[in-house]
Amino acid sequence: MKSIRKILSLLIAICMVLSLAACGGNKPTSQGNDTTTPGTNDTTTPDKPAIDTSKRVDLVFYVMGDPPKDEQAVEDALNKILLERVNATVDFQFSTWTDWAQKYSLELTAGTADLIYVANWNNYGTFANSGAFLPLDDLLPVYAPKLLEVVDEGLYNQCRVNGVLYAVPATWPEYTVSGVKYREDLREKYNLPVPNSIENFEKYLLGIKEHEPNQGLLTVTAAESSGLITAFDAFMIVNFKYPWVNINGLPYGLAANYDTPSEVYDYWYSEDFIEDCKLMKKWADLGFWSKSALSDPNNDTAFINGLCVAEIAGQNPNKHIAAVNDFEKNHPEWKSAYIAYGETNGVIYPAAATQNATAITAQCKNPERALMVLELLLADEEINRLVQCGIEGVHYEITPDGYYKNLSEDFMYENLNTWNLRNNDFKLPQLSDAILNDMFKRYEELGNKTKWPNINVYGNFTEDYSAYAVERGAVSDVMRQYLAPIQAGFVDDVEAAVADFLRRAEDAGLKACRDGFIEQYKAYCEEYGYK
Amino acid sequence: MLRREPASTLVFRLISGFFALTGAIVCVFPFIVIISGSFTDNMTILHKGYSILPRDFSLEAYKTIFKAPQDILQAYLMTTYYTVVGTAIGLFTTTLCAYVISRNEFKYRNNVSFLIYFTSIFGGGIIPWYLMYASVLNLKGSTLAIWFPALTSPFLIILMRTFIKDAVPDAITESAKIDGAGHVTIFFKIVLPVLGPGLATVGLFLALGYWNDWYRSSMFSTSSKTWELQFYLYNLLNAQTAIKQMAQNSGLSHITELPTESVKMAMAVVATGPVLLFYPFVQRYFVSGITIGAVKG
Repeated sequence: MKSIRKILSLLIAICMVLSLAACGGNKPTSQGNDTTTPGTNDTTTPDKPAIDTSKRVDLVFYVMGDPPKDEQAVEDALNKILLERVNATVDFQFSTWTDWAQKYSLELTAGTADLIYVANWNNYGTFANSGAFLPLDDLLPVYAPKLLEVVDEGLYNQCRVNGVLYAVPATWPEYTVSGVKYREDLREKYNLPVPNSIENFEKYLLGIKEHEPNQGLLTVTAAESSGLITAFDAFMIVNFKYPWVNINGLPYGLAANYDTPSEVYDYWYSEDFIEDCKLMKKWADLGFWSKSALSDPNNDTAFINGLCVAEIAGQNPNKHIAAVNDFEKNHPEWKSAYIAYGETNGVIYPAAATQNATAITAQCKNPERALMVLELLLADEEINRLVQCGIEGVHYEITPDGYYKNLSEDFMYENLNTWNLRNNDFKLPQLSDAILNDMFKRYEELGNKTKWPNINVYGNFTEDYSAYAVERGAVSDVMRQYLAPIQAGFVDDVEAAVADFLRRAEDAGLKACRDGFIEQYKAYCEEYGYK
Repeated sequence: MLRREPASTLVFRLISGFFALTGAIVCVFPFIVIISGSFTDNMTILHKGYSILPRDFSLEAYKTIFKAPQDILQAYLMTTYYTVVGTAIGLFTTTLCAYVISRNEFKYRNNVSFLIYFTSIFGGGIIPWYLMYASVLNLKGSTLAIWFPALTSPFLIILMRTFIKDAVPDAITESAKIDGAGHVTIFFKIVLPVLGPGLATVGLFLALGYWNDWYRSSMFSTSSKTWELQFYLYNLLNAQTAIKQMAQNSGLSHITELPTESVKMAMAVVATGPVLLFYPFVQRYFVSGITIGAVKG
């Protein structure tokens, strides 16, 4: 008995020693230095700008996606400069695309990162609300004054959540306008109209169907539809008709026009909605998409492989460019063209500033140094170039006419996925950017003519649905089950089906969702002065 | 002279044969489609779908993989490393632990067994689990974080305890003790030599677990150099879907080339290959091991 007790206590002792050793052994890599600095470097008095950088700090920058092959080489080059300038290093850590949403929030909980990529599609607003990021208002002027110059005040304002600044946005205005990507060569060949409205789009498809009956027309599924705005991708074509503040309208069947963002009106209960659903039925009956469209998996290579002649959901100028490049390489006789919904309905705006931004995590031990590093990454030409393009001469070179030219597969353009460090002043153009820049120029002109010139009015709104999460989930289920067949045109009696769907949505708690949403959205419009 | 069997036996055989055959087909069919897909031209797959025999025979997919095999070889190497190290250390700790709680003279064996068993019902969940390794033990980015968490499991310990109880009756260890053997001698000289099937079973469980794991790489790897093979493959597929969604949001204009359908299939073949070769050799022990555990557990 005694010997066993001895062994047990010995085991426990060993366990403890081991676990301590594991802690101690690994600490120096990332935290050993961190823990010592807060005491010496007084963060509580930012008004005294004596910045002490005598202690080396190793920072972790958490970004999305997969690492490039030459990550280490670029990091080494970067850290050499950073050590000289601010006595700090940066280690980029990648979320990879596997379970990234879950890992992103785990990362914020664990707090192993210092700098972190944030974006509206990554729930920036929600995380900021729950205190995951450090407020930057007081720190920026002291530790990163240059960032205040480089980034527009207007962009900062878009990153504020409840009046507090949590993130530093990229400074490259980008238009991710939704639209229709179609086959220009087929349109020319059969002399069809440019599909820039619902009617013309129908003519375009009918024309192709007539001449090439075996050609697939649309491969639409329910994949690009968010569960609370639309339920079937083909339905996004109605964006040609409505100058809505947000693509596809607002959630829960609401809508508001871009010119009068605060005047929320009802869409699902309107005659327009029935009419649009009847249009979908007509198209389905014409055979524009497969009878199994609702259960088909999303095929994102359908367009570039010639299985469909247009894509109407989830498109943006960059995807058009990708198709152009692909056609050039694989099918030189094909041509892709792009028409933004906004070119017809008159509502065009750049992506919100929170599309790509950087925040400092709340648990960051050296926020002041993190900010200094961020300032260099974003506002120093040499460092910014290094992070975005790699090592000059090894990974890229600048052509005589000032274009970016890739030299190595191991580090491509923006291969560290630091879209949040795009700086308009330093961003090297690429040859393929020519088309994109033309498009952006056109959009900018159009955007300037709107009531809110080049402002994404809806972009910064984040819905806090915690109070009605249950109802929201139920409404989403009802939409998937009952709205999707209506929008895919697979019901016999549209009006009856819509009435049935609305009744079920009401039972699921549509009213609670709508009330909660409208209240928050109106407050948001009020706050930003969108009337 | 053949003995006539009762009709019921015949019916039973027919039915069980039918189910076994269906089961086998259900298991084998997807694999045949994968192999055939890996040998099919990519455009044929896109236009006509998969088939049991390759429609347009092509080696293109394998050429693509082995043109730049560093990544996949690195992943192979890492997975082999995790499997070997993890299985060896895991087998050792599991057996030792099982030995302790299988001894009658250990007064608190039931309490300890209960504690071990308890964790298999009530776990902390993913967040504490992640925090433990990432923040408390600070293992993020280290290869230790990939093989350490899976060294043993309550199920394996209890399985092993049953093995030991069956294979080594108390009387034997007691007599060894009288002859002056300590626990170390008893364990290495008496228990281990008769534990063949048990070690094979638990070892195979561990090895398969390591070989097929992708989750810990996903959670703890900070460099693609330490990725497990399965994660490497899984992530390739995920990257494709994610980049597609991201492209809308974030404007990724310069997307690196994504694997085609046939390349994905070829990668699946390359990843499963070794297990297929390895399995038949250990399977013998595996089956007998499982049944021993089952009957007398």
